[in-house]
Amino acid sequence: MIESISNLWSIPLLVMIPIFATIIVNLLFNRNKAIKYISLISALSLVVITLLSPYGFQWFTGQPALNPNTLTFTFDASIPAWRMALEFYFGPLQQALIFVMALILVLVIGIATNGLTKNQGPYIGMIFLLFASAAIIVMVNDLYHLWIGVEIGSLVVAGVVAASGEGISQKAALKYTFFSALSGAGLAIALALILGLTGYSNISDAIRYIQTTNLNGMSSILYVAFGFFTLSWIYAGGLVPIHPLKSEVYGAAFPHGTAMLQTQSKLMLVAIGLVMLRLFGSLPFAREVMLSISVLTMMLGVVMALLQTDLRWILAYLIVSHSGLVTVGISLGTYDALVGGLFQAVNDVLYMSVLLLGCEAVYYLGNGTSTKTAAGIAKKAPWLALAVVLGTFAASGIPPFNGFQSEIILIQSALKVGLPEVAVVILILSVTTFIALFRAIYSIFLRPADTTHLVVSGLIPSEAQEVGKETPIPRGLYLSLAILVVITLILGVYPDLVIRFLTPVAQAVSIPWYP
Amino acid sequence: MIEVTIQLLSFFAAAALVIIGITGMLFLDNLIKKIIAFILLSDGVNLMLVAVGYVEGGIVSILLPGMSPSEFASKAILVFPVGIVLTNIVISVSTTAVLVALVIMLYRRYGTLKSSKVLKEERR
Repeated sequence: MIESISNLWSIPLLVMIPIFATIIVNLLFNRNKAIKYISLISALSLVVITLLSPYGFQWFTGQPALNPNTLTFTFDASIPAWRMALEFYFGPLQQALIFVMALILVLVIGIATNGLTKNQGPYIGMIFLLFASAAIIVMVNDLYHLWIGVEIGSLVVAGVVAASGEGISQKAALKYTFFSALSGAGLAIALALILGLTGYSNISDAIRYIQTTNLNGMSSILYVAFGFFTLSWIYAGGLVPIHPLKSEVYGAAFPHGTAMLQTQSKLMLVAIGLVMLRLFGSLPFAREVMLSISVLTMMLGVVMALLQTDLRWILAYLIVSHSGLVTVGISLGTYDALVGGLFQAVNDVLYMSVLLLGCEAVYYLGNGTSTKTAAGIAKKAPWLALAVVLGTFAASGIPPFNGFQSEIILIQSALKVGLPEVAVVILILSVTTFIALFRAIYSIFLRPADTTHLVVSGLIPSEAQEVGKETPIPRGLYLSLAILVVITLILGVYPDLVIRFLTPVAQAVSIPWYP
Repeated sequence: MIEVTIQLLSFFAAAALVIIGITGMLFLDNLIKKIIAFILLSDGVNLMLVAVGYVEGGIVSILLPGMSPSEFASKAILVFPVGIVLTNIVISVSTTAVLVALVIMLYRRYGTLKSSKVLKEERR
């Protein structure tokens, strides 16, 4: 594809279509049929735009790049610092990530409009805003919009969770909003520090300033900015020590909502991580700090998953621990590690969505998702059982599924930089993921059904989830599962279908582990 | 010796507001007080941004008739941080609204504003 020198048409559309869709479905409120068609058309249009769009830039405030031939330096340093250089970029990485997110959006909208909630308008609107916030963060090349994207994303996450029920959901939303307020303020302070230090909001310009200027004592300000950025990164991905809070958020939302939440979260993690690598990658100890957080997240997340007895909460903790896999790749920062980390982000979104939608389908069978209450589902819904088992294989890094391909790249890159302990942790994560998931799958799907119904905590207040009430699993849910399982298998056999979109960024951003 | 300027004093005031805000959000028990602490934190961030854009003896960043662009560029305060402050005000109002809405819902459910009671872990 040819890079456009003029403002690219698709970038504003990828942000504005979900925002307009949000406004329209909010106004429609509970006219569910109209909401269904409008939201599906909007979501499908986002898939098409992502596929058809050429690569290029979008400049806000009408200030085009002085040097359009390079992807890195947009503005000349001689220009007065108050020029804003607010810039968006749509390239191969953005195309791959936004396409996957748009695909998940279509599937989630298809499921969400099938009747789980009564007043669908505001809820569907928030799902669209999740897409918009992640799209902003993935495409942006200035700190100002990055911060705005993070703030919008945080508020919308709270909204999606609060809309999923009462009690636990509202508490999780409140805690999350408090922490989001902290991390959002932290990111604003980091923005102010970098702006004060370099005079630039544009990330590429700030990086060039940092690389070409002898900062002397000013690097301490850079460290403080790194600290605040790390806070925001930790919060966006639910990394250690925020992992229990983020898991609570994932566990408190509808499973299909969680599929979209985890997609947004992974994309934010990748985007903020890449900005951190570009801005602070050359600072001593910066990547070591990022790597330590990632490894701890993997370990603590999976241990918490092993302790759970509900498939929904097992998945909530596994999503967080697998976020650590993505960030290991970004923290190592070498070419291979970056390819592995970015590929892991794509794979993670896909196989976790399989498991989450499978978890949602289990609700329709009436006995909740606890390993203590649900049983014998493989007999009632064999295709569902098959899809969840295949999703488990993908999540555990078993060939020929996609999880295997990205994990093997990450293990190889950890060994290449001389960190075999990181490779061992990744292997342990794979094995424990399999144990945690298969234990739940055995109980829920394969164990013979018990005739006595135990009391299920009504976390999702919906008619479909009343204890003991069995409703047919919608065909759309089966179709979504089938599409996702096929994609995980295809990407496991032909990983180059995605990897070729990730290599340009990995080449541009990678830094040797010990320069 | 470091010269004490308005900008430096503003940075100190901003840092104080941020620290008070973070401490309040983390350690106060009352949910409404936590929200007030968040507002203080947000004000601290705003003051910091304004201080970043401050120029000693600067002028408002409006290009007046008869002023050359180079003169304007050298004298005008940095306009971008002011723009960010406007955005931050909008964001903090939105966040406060969401927080207050959630606190009202939880108050109706639990009848208290104490976070130690409201946010207590429930058995899953």
